[in-house]
This record gives sequence, C-alpha cells and structure tokens, in this order.
Amino acid sequence: MNSRKLLFTVATAFALLAAACGGTPSTNNTGNETGTLTVWLMNGSAPQSVIDGVNADFKAKHPNVTVNVEIQQWSDVTTKLDTAFAGSTPPDVMELGNTLVAKYAAAGALQDISSKKSSFQNSGTWLQSLTDSCTYQQKLYCVPYYAGSRAIIYRTDLFAGAGVQVPTSMDDLMTVGQKLMAKYGSDSRFSALYFPGKYWYAAAPFVWDFGGDIATQSGSKWQGAINSAQSQQGLTEVKNLVSALSRADKTGDEAKQDQTFAQGHVAMMIANGWEVGVITDPKSGDPSLLPKLGAFPIPSHNPGQTAPVFLGGSDLGISAKSQHQALAQEWVGLLGGDKFQTQMVTVGGVIPNSTTLTSKSSGLPAIFAAAAKTSRFTPNSPNWASVESANVLQDMLVSIFTGKSTIPAASSTAADKITQILNG
Amino acid sequence: MRRTTGRIVLDGIAILIVVVMLFPIYWMVSTALKPGKEILSLTPVWVPTHLTFDNFQSAIHVPFFWNDVVNSLIIVTTTVIVSIVLAFLAAAAVARFGFRGRAAFVVMVIAVQMVPLNALVIPIYLLLDRVGQVDSLIGVIAYYMAVVLPFMIWTLRGFVTNVPVDLEEAAMIDGATRIGAFMRIVFPLVAPGLVATAIFGFIQAWNEYIIAYVLLSTSSKQTLTIWLASFTTQHGTDWGGLMAGATLTALPVVVLFLIVQRYVQGSLTAGAVKG
Amino acid sequence: MGVAGDARGRASSGLHLEAGPWRQALARRALPYALIAPALIVIVAVLGYPLVNLVWISTQKYGFRELIQHQGVFIGLQNFATILTDPQFLYVIRTSLIFTAVNVGLSMFLATLIALLLERVSRPVRILLSAGLVFVWATPVIPAVNLWQWMFDYEFGVVNWLLTRFGAGDYIHHNWFENPVQGFAVITIIVVWGAIPFLALTLYAGLTQVPRELVEAAEIDGARPWQVFRNVTLPIVRPLFIILFSLSTIWDFGVFNQVWVLLNQRPNKDYFLIAVYSFQESFRVSKYGLGAASAVVMVAILAVVSIFYIRETIRLTNEELR
Repeated sequence: MNSRKLLFTVATAFALLAAACGGTPSTNNTGNETGTLTVWLMNGSAPQSVIDGVNADFKAKHPNVTVNVEIQQWSDVTTKLDTAFAGSTPPDVMELGNTLVAKYAAAGALQDISSKKSSFQNSGTWLQSLTDSCTYQQKLYCVPYYAGSRAIIYRTDLFAGAGVQVPTSMDDLMTVGQKLMAKYGSDSRFSALYFPGKYWYAAAPFVWDFGGDIATQSGSKWQGAINSAQSQQGLTEVKNLVSALSRADKTGDEAKQDQTFAQGHVAMMIANGWEVGVITDPKSGDPSLLPKLGAFPIPSHNPGQTAPVFLGGSDLGISAKSQHQALAQEWVGLLGGDKFQTQMVTVGGVIPNSTTLTSKSSGLPAIFAAAAKTSRFTPNSPNWASVESANVLQDMLVSIFTGKSTIPAASSTAADKITQILNG
Repeated sequence: MRRTTGRIVLDGIAILIVVVMLFPIYWMVSTALKPGKEILSLTPVWVPTHLTFDNFQSAIHVPFFWNDVVNSLIIVTTTVIVSIVLAFLAAAAVARFGFRGRAAFVVMVIAVQMVPLNALVIPIYLLLDRVGQVDSLIGVIAYYMAVVLPFMIWTLRGFVTNVPVDLEEAAMIDGATRIGAFMRIVFPLVAPGLVATAIFGFIQAWNEYIIAYVLLSTSSKQTLTIWLASFTTQHGTDWGGLMAGATLTALPVVVLFLIVQRYVQGSLTAGAVKG
Repeated sequence: MGVAGDARGRASSGLHLEAGPWRQALARRALPYALIAPALIVIVAVLGYPLVNLVWISTQKYGFRELIQHQGVFIGLQNFATILTDPQFLYVIRTSLIFTAVNVGLSMFLATLIALLLERVSRPVRILLSAGLVFVWATPVIPAVNLWQWMFDYEFGVVNWLLTRFGAGDYIHHNWFENPVQGFAVITIIVVWGAIPFLALTLYAGLTQVPRELVEAAEIDGARPWQVFRNVTLPIVRPLFIILFSLSTIWDFGVFNQVWVLLNQRPNKDYFLIAVYSFQESFRVSKYGLGAASAVVMVAILAVVSIFYIRETIRLTNEELR
C-alpha cells in the first residue's frame, strides 16, 4: 500500500525542493498540487481536440491534478446551473452564456478575478462586448471564451439571377429584397429576407443603428428605452422589411432557419457565422450550396456603414466555492490564451476572444469576425437573464409583425416591463 | 348477417384508429431511417427511398452511449424492483388491515401525486447534496422510488382488495401463518397486477429527464434521456439522430410490453375496478 | 444498491414480527405499521424535506442570491397575495382549469369508445389495436412532443402539407400557434394522444369484468345499446371510472412538457398553464418564492377539485374492510 504513497511523498519533496531552489519564479504552480478540477463546457462549444490539447498542456505542468471536463446539454441548462450553484460543490470552472454572467456574478456565485486580469494572455485586447459581459460593478468575473456575431448570409446565384448587388444601406437592402421578390416571389415559399418573428437578435441591430437602445442606465436605475423615438424608427424599419420580404413564421423562432435556407427558397438570412456549417452539413443541409453562399454585414441606414450587431458568445467563470482557484485560473488561461484560441478559430470556426486573433479567420468567417468589431451588448444587469426568459422583446416583435399591436403600443408595453424587471 | 357486417364496420373503424394513433410513431421510425436531405424536406418523403442506418450508427457512437444504457438499466431496474416490493407490502396493509392513521396514509398517497415535480428540483438537489448523493445513481434511484411508490401503492391496493379474504382464511385454518397464507394465496393472484404496476414505474423512470440531468453531471454517470438531449445543440437539432435515439429508447419498453402484454391486458386493473 | 439492501432488510424484519416472542394481539396491531413503514420511510425521507421546504420558500422573498446563500427573507403570505392579485396568474388558473376539463373529458370519452370497440372487434383486430396503443404508450414523452412539433411545423409540417393536398384549403405556411385556440387544440391532440393508451387499456380490462349474461339479458329485454351501457355496464365500471378520472385530472392539470417542448422552451404568455407558470417563475425569472407559492396554489386547487374523489376513496377503503 505504501509504495505509491512513498513515491508521492518523494515526488512532492522533489517538487518542493525544486520550488525552493527557485527553478522558475514566474510559474507559481509547480506541479505539487493534487486534486480534481471539474470543468463544465457546453455541448458543441469546443472541439474535442482543443479540450484534449488544453488538458495535455495543463497535465504537463500539474501531473497530479485530474481534470474532468464534463459536457453539459443545452436543454434546461439554467436549471442545472442554478441548482449546482446552490449546492456545496459546483464545478470549479464553467462555461456561461454571456448574457447569464451578470446574474451569477451579482449573486456572489462567481469568483472576482479582477486582480488576476493581467495574468491572462490578451486581456488587454479582449473583445470589448465580451469583456463588458464579464464585468459587473467594475469587477471582472470571467474570462471571455469565444464570440459569435451575425451578418447576412445570401445566395450569390439568386442575386446574380435577379441582377442585384450586395446592398450598402438599409434602403438598398429593401430595394434589393424587392427585386428578389419580384423575380422569385411567385414561389409561395420564397423569402427574399427570411426573418422569423421571434428573432430578436436579428432585430436589435436596426434599433441600435438608429441610436435606439433596449434600456439605459442612470445611477443604479434602469429605464426601458425600446420605445424611444430612435428605437421605434429601427423597429419600423424591421417591420417594413419583414412585411415586404419575409414569408417566415411571424411567431416562430430561428431554430430551423438553416434547414429552411438549405431547402433553397431563401435568398438572404441574418445568421451567425457557424450557421454556414449547418446549411451545408451533409446530414442536415445541402453541401452543394457552399459555393453559392456569400455574406455581408447588416448595412446601416447611413450608406456605406454597417449596423452594430449583438455579440453573442460564452465566457469562462470560476465558481466562488471552488477549492482550486489558482488551478482553475490556469486552466481557463490556457483555453482563453493564444494557442487554443487560434485552434478554436481554425478548427471550431468561431470568433476568438481577442482582436489580435480575429485576423486568423478567413473566407466567410472573416466577414462575421469583422462584423464583431462594431458590436453591442445587452444591458449588463443581473436581471437581464429574466428579461430574456420572460420573452419580453420576442413577444413585442411578434405582436408588431402580426399586427396585433402597433409599434408605439407594443414597444411601450415592452419598455415598461423591461424597466420593471431590470430594477428588480 | 347483420352481425357480421356490423363487425366488419367496427373492425374498419378500429384499423383506422390504429393508423391515426400510430402515424407519429411511423414518422419517428421512418425519419430515423432517412438520409439527411429527405428528413426536413418541404414535400414530405413518405417512404424513405434511400434506407440508411447512419442515424442509428451515429446515435450509438455518441460518446458514453453505452454508459448511459447501463446507467438507465441500473436505475430503472433497481427502482422498479425495490419499489414494487415496498408498494406491495404497503398495499397489503391498506387493503387488509384497519389501523389508526390508515385514512391519513391513503390521503398522503393521493396528495403526493398532486405536487408538480418540477417545483421540487432544487430542494431535492439540496437534500441529496447534504447526504453526498448528488452525481450518484443512488440519489436518482431514491428520488424515482419516492415518486413511483404512491402510484404503485394505490394501484396494488386495488388488486389485493380483489382477492377474497375467505381464501386467505381458509389457508390459515389449514395451519398456515397469516403471512404464509398471504404470500401463498394472495401473491400469485396479484402477480399480474404487480407486473402491470411495475411497467408504469418502468416507463416513468425510464423517460425522466430533468432530475437526472440536474443531478448527474459526470459524463459516465448519465442516463439515456440525457443522451437524447445531446442531439439538440445551440447549433440546431440533429433530427435524424434524435428520432433514431427516440426509437432506440422506446424499443426496450415495447419489447418488455410485448413480453408481458398478456398480463397487462387481462388484469390491468382487475383490482382497481372495485375502487 | 445500498438502498435495495436496506429496504429488503427492513421489509423482512417487518415480516418476522409475528414469529417473535410477542403477544399475538400486539403483533397483529404492529403488523400493518411494519408493512407500510418501508414505503412510508422512503416517501418521507425523500419527499418530506422538499415538500416542507417548498411550503417554507413560498413564504419567503427568495431569489437567486437567497438560493445561493440558503437564506430568504420571511414575508408571510405576500407571495400568495402577489400571485393571487396578478391578473396574469388568474388567467393562467382559468386557462388551466378549462384545459384540464377539455382534456380530461376528451381523453376519457375517446378512451371509453376505444375500450368499447376493443370489446366488440374480431380477435386479430383487437390484438392489433391494443399493440398499437401499447406502442404509443411506450414512446418517451420528449421525443414524442418533438415529433408532433415537427408535424405541425410552419415550414416542414406534414399536417399542413396533408391539409393542402387533400383540399382543405391553403395551409402552406399555416401557423398553428398564432391563435392560442388553435395552439391549444394542437396541445390537446398531443396530450389526449398520449393519455388514450393507458386509459383505454385500463377501461377495457374493466369492461371485461362486466358479466356477459347481464348484458345479454338486458338486450333480450329490448334495451338499446346506450341503455345497456348506462344501466348495466356503467354502474360496474363506475369505481374504475372515478379513479381514471381523478388521475387524469391530476395529470392534465400538471401538463408541462407538452407545452414547454412544443413551444421551444419559450412559450408565449397565452400558453402558460399553471405548471409552466410555476417553472418559469422559478427557473427562468429566478423568483423561487413566487414559483413555490404557485405550486402550493396548484396543489390546493387540485385538492379542492378532487375532494369528492378523496372522500369517496376513504369511504370505499373503509367499506372494503367490513
């Protein structure tokens, strides 16, 4: 029984000796820790090769630490996170959707890592909106993991067939769309711009572009702003586009838009960069479409400019209850650092967490990465997750698109609701 | 003559009902056998023209699939076997004895079934956390048992009641103890009821998702319903895989059913009829 | 497996009571308690604390911060006051009650017809029909709802395609969930479809216990089929009916998955049934206090609705012993 223990003691002694002799002062962790580091990543976020790579590098430095990367499913994930944080042993590291961080940070579930910020590679060049999502009351609670931004995916062949070019302004977008409808619209399933009614993140750029916003903050008070004159201008623009160009479900969401696009009756669609992969997936989509796909950023109403987009994505948090803070930080640092972020771009096709790495994207993903540079984030309040869950903005859009309610009425209702929820 | 025409009409109606009821099942199985492009198609593909087992293959090659199978089997069989024994004992007590607190016990058994289980997710988690059974199959088994027991007690009580007390008493006169008489006489008569009730428990435990998902985090400790959820990612749903997965999940239950169907059919609620 | 061993140990110690050196009378009195003890212990040990906790949280201001710190603020009945004066909650209760009534009625009605049919068709057809019912029963709920969601899909829905193809009008791009009445019709179809197998097979088993001679005698007396059913069959299967009716009420009042999965976990307010409301308040809006209060209200409503059943049950269980 004791040979292993002895070996361990000897190893520890050597390690301590090495540390005492001041081997490398920059690494404060020298492999003498033991224990288990538990990491929750979401299904489909990092390719297995990246996870294996991070673990191998980590293992090299900390041979006695076991890392358990457990992949969690999306369905009901907030329920799972809520209960895990309430329990005594939440995972040490977990991936969190960027709109969820504030809720967990505000409740004290996540560790404040502000003082360690400079120890993370590229922390000076992290994407602004991801950094914002990790920041609550001037403190840093997570490390940006990866981002996703939206642009318009279009069919180059259909554009050529209708004799139109990539639009350079919102008005132009409408004109192009109308020409496409005139050319192909006799097909009752055709949409020039496919836009499901609940697709709030595709509507947000229009609101922001006209200077509107979801909510504004003064002091600690939030005020819903989705009914401001500028916001309403943006909503009007969306409504006009939808009623003229879209035959998508006015009450549906974007869950099946890629499969729809792959069926060939759609010319344009607002989508995330990775959706190109779904459209051309041999199992669920149509690979033959790949050479016919193009992408361009959502144009601004000011010709020649692009509209700000919502930056989705994930962050890596460390739970406050974790017994292995230093190890957790180190693991997060690896996955968020240059080496593995580059792999996330080249293998995973996502937008990396740092502006210094966005140039690694090429082809279509590069257009999405470029769109990420003018990005916005949702109100950074712990209660924002509740606004999302209560479907306030989705319900507003649905009632506008279906004509159940006018834009002023629907947006005022939504603004009141947002004010009420954000102020708790 | 009129009678046969009548019967043919009734048979026709019955077959129509079968077709309508089974249509979604047909759609599930046929989708699982379709290649990607035929799955989500604007013009439905009624009969898969290019039969493929790809969906099944990729479904069972999801990492940890076999762990999930084993875990589901362990959880469900343990839950069903232990709770059927406990439920049978309790049902016998309620059906055969008058005792103080009997009415209260009966009311509790009914009332527990009224509580929405989703509302209990957090307290269950905290309870199991306190005794160190989060992320362990035992915690899940304990919860499933507590959930299926009330229903089982309730159903079995009816079956036991239906066995005439006289039979038992006759055996006791012959010198058997009360327990002996009960086990020898009553048990065989309620066996079909036990089987039917066990199947309710089986289906309930086999198909539960939320508690299993919340409690079990380690990939090697999860169940088949969590495996089913893995076909839905943020990047959309793999419909072919999901339908193949659903077919594979339903299959063991169907097989079990077909094996015990005779019992279920004949005496499903022979006891319950009496109240 | 520790649980299994424990439970069996407990059960057998119960059974051996009588063999011990105890006086007969004492053993007789202790026996029923020994028999219910294992089941009772499991139920109380596992659900006791959570149920008490649920009621306790319903009296607290309990958000996510409180959840993590395990410490709420006691506010008495304020959560109940909040939800019971919230027009949305009252609407939810009303919707749930109507939904339950329609679903229970419809599934009981159809299940009865199918059970009667099972009794009358030829043997091969009977086996076919019951095997079909069994198949439906065995399909896991969540994928089953996914399947239905898909069949009623806006773009790809086979239902829209069929309706259009067979001349019921232009249903291409018909949205089944824009109008809540239509949407609830779809949900009802799914719930009833899932409920029929259990109900029909159980009722059929009950019907087979109706003595053939009684039915034939009534028929010879010239009774119409409806009269035979009402006067001969119904009284015999009435207790079974009451059980199934009550179980259906409990289940249909608690419908959750069908709405939640069908509407992509983001149901519109119109589609909130009480179980959906409770879940949303707890896990989506992080107001666990309100969520718990609505769950308590839900149990209270069910208890009121089924008070008749509970009284009837206690009366019957007492009668059985005489």
